[in-house]
Amino acid sequence: MKVQVRAFANLRGFAPSGDGEFELTLAEGATVADLIAALRIPAAVEAVVLVNGRRADRPTALAAGDAVTLFPPMEGG
Amino acid sequence: MHGWCGTILRVDLTRGRVTTEKLDPRVARAYIGARGFGIYYLRKEVDPRCDPFGPENKIIMAAGPLTGTAAPTGARYVVTTKSPLTGAITCSNSGGNFPAELKKSGHDAIIIEGRSEKPVYLWVNGGRAELRPAEHLWGRSTHQTEEALRRETDEKAKTAVIGPAGENRVLFAAIMNDRDRAAGRAGVGAVMGAKNLKGVAVRGAGEVALADPAAFKAANTRYREAFKAKTKDNPPPLRTHGTAITVVGTQAHGVFPTRNFQQGTFEGWEAIYGETLTRRFLVRAKPCFSCPIACGRVTRIPEGPFAGEGEGPEYETVYALGSNCGVDDLAALTKANYECNELGLDTISMGSTVACAMELYEKGLLTASEAGMPLRWGDGAALVRLVGMTARREGFGDILAEGSLRLAARFGRPELAMVAKGLDFAGYDPRGEQGMGLAYATSPIGGSHMRGDPAYFELLGVPTSVDPHTWSDKPPLVAKWQDLFCVIDAAGLCVFFSVRYLVEQNLMVKPVGITELLNGATGAGYTPEEIERAGERIFNAERLYLLAAGFSRRDDCLPPRITAEPMPSGPAQGLVCRLEEMLAPYYALRGWSPEGVPSEAKLRELGLL
Repeated sequence: MKVQVRAFANLRGFAPSGDGEFELTLAEGATVADLIAALRIPAAVEAVVLVNGRRADRPTALAAGDAVTLFPPMEGG
Repeated sequence: MHGWCGTILRVDLTRGRVTTEKLDPRVARAYIGARGFGIYYLRKEVDPRCDPFGPENKIIMAAGPLTGTAAPTGARYVVTTKSPLTGAITCSNSGGNFPAELKKSGHDAIIIEGRSEKPVYLWVNGGRAELRPAEHLWGRSTHQTEEALRRETDEKAKTAVIGPAGENRVLFAAIMNDRDRAAGRAGVGAVMGAKNLKGVAVRGAGEVALADPAAFKAANTRYREAFKAKTKDNPPPLRTHGTAITVVGTQAHGVFPTRNFQQGTFEGWEAIYGETLTRRFLVRAKPCFSCPIACGRVTRIPEGPFAGEGEGPEYETVYALGSNCGVDDLAALTKANYECNELGLDTISMGSTVACAMELYEKGLLTASEAGMPLRWGDGAALVRLVGMTARREGFGDILAEGSLRLAARFGRPELAMVAKGLDFAGYDPRGEQGMGLAYATSPIGGSHMRGDPAYFELLGVPTSVDPHTWSDKPPLVAKWQDLFCVIDAAGLCVFFSVRYLVEQNLMVKPVGITELLNGATGAGYTPEEIERAGERIFNAERLYLLAAGFSRRDDCLPPRITAEPMPSGPAQGLVCRLEEMLAPYYALRGWSPEGVPSEAKLRELGLL
């Protein structure tokens, strides 16, 4: 299945292309943890994950067409 | 004393007299500093029913025990006064270098009282202080004033000044320090203008004395090393992109206020967020005193109608002057930010007031001839013009200078002002972030995000994430974080570092690191529990002042757009803020009556009776 991913700030560096906006193909039933692994984001690199605008934990299952947003924890605005 | 200087500078503008007095060690211990000292002296000395522009109002500029020390982000001070915008207390916080210099001059606080007949400025040179004529500076921009003060006093002096907006009593005028840092909220600059005080210049004479330098250094090194370890390979997003990177979090959650909070997502967000700012305009990151993060932005617009240079924009400015006005032209909103800095205006209330005017115009309630121009959503050129008109109170700017609530009321629609207690909201729509609604409604200064910011745990993943759409779990979290922010503000620290490194990294945020640094600096032997209690004391003292100023439970409210109009689209679609469901449990767990009044038992427990 394919999901749409946008990665920001330092997490952009883990995008397959130079651009932080890309499509990713994952196995059916893949979870957020699988997506993190597919992008080779190490455990030491913190990432907040949103799926369709809702906070998702690592075990959250993804569905085809989901919009995934990745950003580092931010200390303020 | 250590950490604390033990000396308060009192400036009587009516008599033109400057005196010093001792800081009571019991007050220091109980209120910690800065924001704590602000409310302590305000309650003691300023009638809550007074005219904010009258000579009986006072301005308390206070630093914390960690301000001016090597503690990470020990850069902050707090300006406390009765607000002309809201009629409530305001305590506005700023960093830069002025606060540290104030401490190094040997003072914990300056209490400014009375009113000078003619414009003056205050020159604090170590232990000596004097008032000097400032008629020649009246009308000058904040940058011009700062340069003049340094020329006339000491080239290394640090300054806090007002611009034309403060002189003209614009109700949301700021006090600007170190060029472009702002004690921005709720009109502290207008109170300074009403007192005919153009600025304060300070030159330090030594270092802040520490009670236990070895223990302080050990703690300081440990927390700085923790920061370095975490950011070695991944620089903090706030340094790389500034606070405007936060647009990513609010837009993705659908709480990025757009067109006066009519929507929670902005189609033009990519044109104005932090990474675009970095690419287009960033010159360099600029840290405040003793700060390892460096979120400040020195920027330059190289060409076009808005060409210029200065500092900003911050996240709040990107929301207020950008999405909230429908403006996706980063150059225009950055230029409007520069103008706000130079004229001395709070960018949040400026943007919120223009957004309110734009909605009135788009709804046909305000005409182009009344406004002096069409006010269509997204008109960046109009926005830039209105900033100058507001600061000078020219034409329609004279109406904008009264703020969004008075503007909306004037045109018959007070509910279109996006405020709590008359203070404009920060850049978070509470419909998709329930805790923020409770925080806005119960903040002692009105609609501020910096009095216990739930965006950390609801949106930004710090220290961990909580569902932003739930409400029943929010009252205890909001109360806990409100008290924590009192502590951070009182200590003289910045929230940005403190919430990640100086508190336990769970939702209860026990201030262990802050306690350690405070003990190293002051030798007070605080426990974390005593520090938490001091935070609660400060918050309750501010509540008491608010109640004495005539506010009550009915003022702990949000506009109907937030509580009754469901979010029309985006990830928060269909939601309203469940404020009423949160308020009763919140009051109960704070030990307040169902009317929001602190109980006698609570006040006794906190030593406030």
